[in-house]
Amino acid sequence: MSTKKLFTSLLLVALLLAPILAANAQDGEPIIAEPGVELDMVLLPKDPGNPVFVEANEGAMEAHEELENPGELIFTGPTPENAIPGQIEIITSSTTEGVDAIMISANAYEELVPATTAAMEAGITIVTWDSPVMPEGEDLFIAQVDFSETGIVMADMALNLLGEEGGEFAVLSATPDASNQNAWIEAMQAALEEDEKYANLELVDIVYGNDVAEDSYNQALGLVDKYPDLKLIMAPTTVGIAAAAKALQDEELCGTVLLSGLGLPSEMESFVEAGCAQEFALWSFHDLGYLTYYVSYMIASGQLEGEIGETFVAGRMGEYTIEEDPNREDGKRIKMGPFSQYNADNFDEWASGE
Amino acid sequence: MQKVRQLIRPEQIRELSLLLIIILIVIFFGSQIENYYSARTFQRISSSVMIIMVVAVGETMVVLTRNIDLSVSSMVGFTAYLAGQQVSQNDNLSPAVVVLLAVSFGALLGLINGLLVAYGKIPAIVVTLGTLAIYRGALVEYGHSKNILVRDLPDWLVNLPRETLFSVGELDIRLLAGLAFIIVIIFQMVLLFLPYGRRLYAIGSSPDAARIAGLPARRIVLLAYVLCGALSGLGGFIYLSRIGTVGTTAAQGLHMQVIAAVVVGGVNIFGGSGTMIGMMLGAILMGILEQSLIRMQINEFWKDAIFGMFILLAVASDALMMNRLRDLWARGAIQMRIAQDAAVQKE
Amino acid sequence: MLQNRDWRWLLRWESLLAVILVAVIAANIQMSSHYLGTDNFVNLFQLSIEKIIMALIMTFIIINGEIDLSVASVMGLSACLFGRLYDQDIPAEMAVVIALVVGTVCGTFNGFWIAYAGLPSLAVTLASSIMFRGVARILLEDRSVGLFPQWFNNLGQPDLIGPLSFGIILFVVLFGICLIVLQLTAFGRYVYIIGNNKGAARYSGIKVRQTKLTLFILSGLVASLCGLLLAARLGTVRANAAEEFELDIITMVLLGGVSIFGGTGTLVGVGLSILVVLNLRNGMSLAHYSGNIQTSVVGALLIASVLLPNLMRDTRRLRQWRDFRFRPRETDLEEEEGTWQAVG
Repeated sequence: MSTKKLFTSLLLVALLLAPILAANAQDGEPIIAEPGVELDMVLLPKDPGNPVFVEANEGAMEAHEELENPGELIFTGPTPENAIPGQIEIITSSTTEGVDAIMISANAYEELVPATTAAMEAGITIVTWDSPVMPEGEDLFIAQVDFSETGIVMADMALNLLGEEGGEFAVLSATPDASNQNAWIEAMQAALEEDEKYANLELVDIVYGNDVAEDSYNQALGLVDKYPDLKLIMAPTTVGIAAAAKALQDEELCGTVLLSGLGLPSEMESFVEAGCAQEFALWSFHDLGYLTYYVSYMIASGQLEGEIGETFVAGRMGEYTIEEDPNREDGKRIKMGPFSQYNADNFDEWASGE
Repeated sequence: MQKVRQLIRPEQIRELSLLLIIILIVIFFGSQIENYYSARTFQRISSSVMIIMVVAVGETMVVLTRNIDLSVSSMVGFTAYLAGQQVSQNDNLSPAVVVLLAVSFGALLGLINGLLVAYGKIPAIVVTLGTLAIYRGALVEYGHSKNILVRDLPDWLVNLPRETLFSVGELDIRLLAGLAFIIVIIFQMVLLFLPYGRRLYAIGSSPDAARIAGLPARRIVLLAYVLCGALSGLGGFIYLSRIGTVGTTAAQGLHMQVIAAVVVGGVNIFGGSGTMIGMMLGAILMGILEQSLIRMQINEFWKDAIFGMFILLAVASDALMMNRLRDLWARGAIQMRIAQDAAVQKE
Repeated sequence: MLQNRDWRWLLRWESLLAVILVAVIAANIQMSSHYLGTDNFVNLFQLSIEKIIMALIMTFIIINGEIDLSVASVMGLSACLFGRLYDQDIPAEMAVVIALVVGTVCGTFNGFWIAYAGLPSLAVTLASSIMFRGVARILLEDRSVGLFPQWFNNLGQPDLIGPLSFGIILFVVLFGICLIVLQLTAFGRYVYIIGNNKGAARYSGIKVRQTKLTLFILSGLVASLCGLLLAARLGTVRANAAEEFELDIITMVLLGGVSIFGGTGTLVGVGLSILVVLNLRNGMSLAHYSGNIQTSVVGALLIASVLLPNLMRDTRRLRQWRDFRFRPRETDLEEEEGTWQAVG
């Protein structure tokens, strides 16, 4: 028997065993995705015009190629003015068309549920990411990080920048009804109250820049004018933090008023260099798209049940487990994590890695 | 009374009353907000209205001809993005080239509007409601949802909003705000002294009469749209230097603020009357309101309602008061004529 | 008034629409096997039900020579008012009635400024649209209100009667009523006459002001009804409900052959254009074109819907001019009117 033949037969055995191995996976063995199943999948972001969602799409495309799915991966979204009805329309027409999975970053927690429920009844896998819908309207939610953890990270960054003596700080958020930002801010407020070490941090105001660059710019300066003793602006939105940084730079306030929040490193690079933004955090949207695709692919192809306790391998990102969502009753989620934190010290590292 | 009538025209009364309202509002906010009378407040208001003012100069010319341009926000966004993209890719572009690029691309977009309105004979609101959506859609397709990054922009552009033209005591007159003011003045001169300016009024007051009088109405309207596009392009350039991180949603909704400034500034939506100075006062009033409401402990959610009310008040007072004033003035002139005639007859 | 010539042109415009509609439907069938099917057809209407109902009233207003840019804000306002009242434990039935009344008041408010103070409808409704949206923001701030009673939510879901929803039945009934009123009654004739020439209409004894006021009151009432339908369909309301719906509504009306200067257009044309826009959007959705492209196509359609008839008229005039070179016709001068002026 030549080595070539031996190799072929071994491969054959392995292939035969594969389904059996997969069936046994329930007993704690992580499930490994089987590539090549044909599935049409839709990636539906909040707003296809926001760069972070384009990054998520790139991640999903990476997984799409890796899993050799001969089906289609469609990236489509509504216009910002038509955010909620637009998403409903896309979910409904995708249902009509009979795609296999829809991956949604939801613009609204409740309004999409009738549409997603109808889709699930038609046998379509609904996975939410970045921002969920009510648990009855989805199979599960891929959480980028724990919502309460985001609050704590924000509080820690504020503490780190303001030091022991603390001082006044304010939040510049996205829209008043952005559910993600509201949850994070709430978690941060809870953290500020509970933990003694934050005692000197005084949150004086929460304002909204509506994720519009100009509004955020004006609101940031409004905060500076309104509170003469303001020491820090915390902007948990990528649009807001970039606009606030430019506003501080234009008014020569860099260093006088510190800036922190959630931001894209590529957008913040020049501001960190100029000392106009001190520290910010973000998770990788590329990885979020990649993981979301893996999970949706495995559920839609029946390789994963989508039940609590299942463990699986998401390609290069390693093992994940489906767990109960601590923030939503009856919700199921997969937590991606972790945060990447950026400041002047580690920024060169990031820049050279890009 | 006769003297008064001879000295000032109804339009000037309107501008004076707008000035009075501005003063009253400033006094009101001054009493409500600590540290309101400061160089800082001036800075905020002057730099927040500069883009609106530049774009509104173009809008005013269009409105004077009894037309409207709703697509300015998309034009500002598109030119800001295009200029940002070009300057990021070619570091050695000189400032003049970048400005020229933005202005001429804006003019091109304005030309499309103008051709459709003047030569396609399509109502302005239909054309610009359509191009508002089309230009924005084209921008999103063109930009592939990528943002212009500040790190790719040259320093002169990023630092431009900080350049100071000259200082009066503590007040810094910033270069860009000064530029906006100069543009307003230049175009006010155009309206007053150039034949083209007078023709804008003629067409707006009575399109039929203007045509019968042999004015090249189409060309005049076309040029108004091209200028509006060009000024939107300049607004796009200022937007780019001010905001830096420009995305495909840049300047969305700006057209509402621009039209609000024009209407509050006393430019008749039916064309034929209004001045650049009035528009500037309107823009400043809206800017003061916006900046001051941010600083008041006023509920975020009341802003729109207050804004809408102001615009409606301006439109209503225009139609109700101005007509009456004009009647009064006209009647005064006739009475004067009669008195003069009587005096002549006596002799 | 409607002259023979106008009718002929309109009939031609409507047949053109019918051809476009057939083409769009054929393309959709070609493109997606899921296009034909009861579910998709119900969804097609259901997803835009508020807009198409509103387009019926907008047809009257534009034929009348006016425009109402505030309809989307009135929809949002009445939906938010309903939500706010329901949230404060006022029975849903009561809240519906109050929301409808307030919507009617909004319409009356617009109508008063336009019909009695003589202000341009473009400016008035632009300002009031900002104001009404502002009031909606004051009512709900950043909250969303939901969990309405089942009977209310049912109004917005399909399968209420057979596969049809309440909204679709309402649309069909309203379409019938509007068709009769506009084309067969004295009121309908007045709407056309005023749109053609306000001054002449007044001198001939038509109550111009009352007619205009009535239309705006109706517009407010129907807009608030549509706002409630939207609330029922989504099951939740928030302050930005129905934002920017006006572009689609006005597009549907103008594409239907209604002149923005008033005076011409038929509901049959609007009905056809509604079908064209809905099928076009549906087809693009099925082909996964993003929202921005869809809106751009609708915008282009809006421009084309006026440009095309203009070109048709110009070429016809050119032909006439060639045929009757030595005998210029009076009508040629007439048609020059109302070229590049704004609505009013």
